[in-house]
Amino acid sequence: MNIAVREGLDTAQPETGSGVELLLWILIWSELVVFGALLGAFLLLGALDPPALAALRSGLELPLAGMATIVLVSSGFFAARAAFGHHPRRNLVAAALGGFTFCALKIAALVHELPALAATEGRLSELYMLIVGFHFAHVLFVAGLLLLVALRPTPRHVAGVATIWHLIDLIWLLILPVIYLG
Amino acid sequence: MRSPRALPLPAVLLCLFVATGLSLLAASVLPSGFRGPAIAALSLAKAMLVVLGFMRLQRESAGLAGALIGYAALICLLAGARIALSGVS
Repeated sequence: MNIAVREGLDTAQPETGSGVELLLWILIWSELVVFGALLGAFLLLGALDPPALAALRSGLELPLAGMATIVLVSSGFFAARAAFGHHPRRNLVAAALGGFTFCALKIAALVHELPALAATEGRLSELYMLIVGFHFAHVLFVAGLLLLVALRPTPRHVAGVATIWHLIDLIWLLILPVIYLG
Repeated sequence: MRSPRALPLPAVLLCLFVATGLSLLAASVLPSGFRGPAIAALSLAKAMLVVLGFMRLQRESAGLAGALIGYAALICLLAGARIALSGVS
């Protein structure tokens, strides 16, 4: 994270960002707690009502979810390159484009999934929409932030936005086994 | 100084691709008893690759990296157990 940026971009950067970094990690952990609660609720409801879970899962687009995963981890690769000081502007833009591509794939998946979800009654499909929609909103928002930081990349901003991007990556990698791969 | 033991970023990405492909394969071909542990292990491996390979958080704070991996392990364990138990009933 910050170590690499200090190495690669600006070794003379003063250590003034520890308070901001603390706030960043408080934000990240609060997001993780919220997603953890949602995923826990999905696991619990799925265990209590296996037929509803099977009905929901039969309507999901697993190949598109796989493609979205490939795109998101690739954009994480570009964010990591930016954070380690390799052409920050170019790599941040590439990471943001990966995020927008992920969003496009999720929209395409939802177009296919919505009829099946509408036919499925119960809390599971609502929870599915909430989890995936909440994550989608995060990807869209932080991809926009990646572009904003790419306009004037400073080491601390690149490190911060890359950290948030990796956490969004991580959350998707946890959504996958809970919702799609069962 | 960069640690000589750090995986290069392209290798991390390649491992993530392989683990993703194996997860999708496991989800479609394995019986539920094996599918649960396999998917949990592969998902945890992907989470560890992001935390240790992309973020390299262990260099800055081993505790924070451990906490993130522990969080991912808990969710993967629960997901794997639910998948494995779905074939029992």
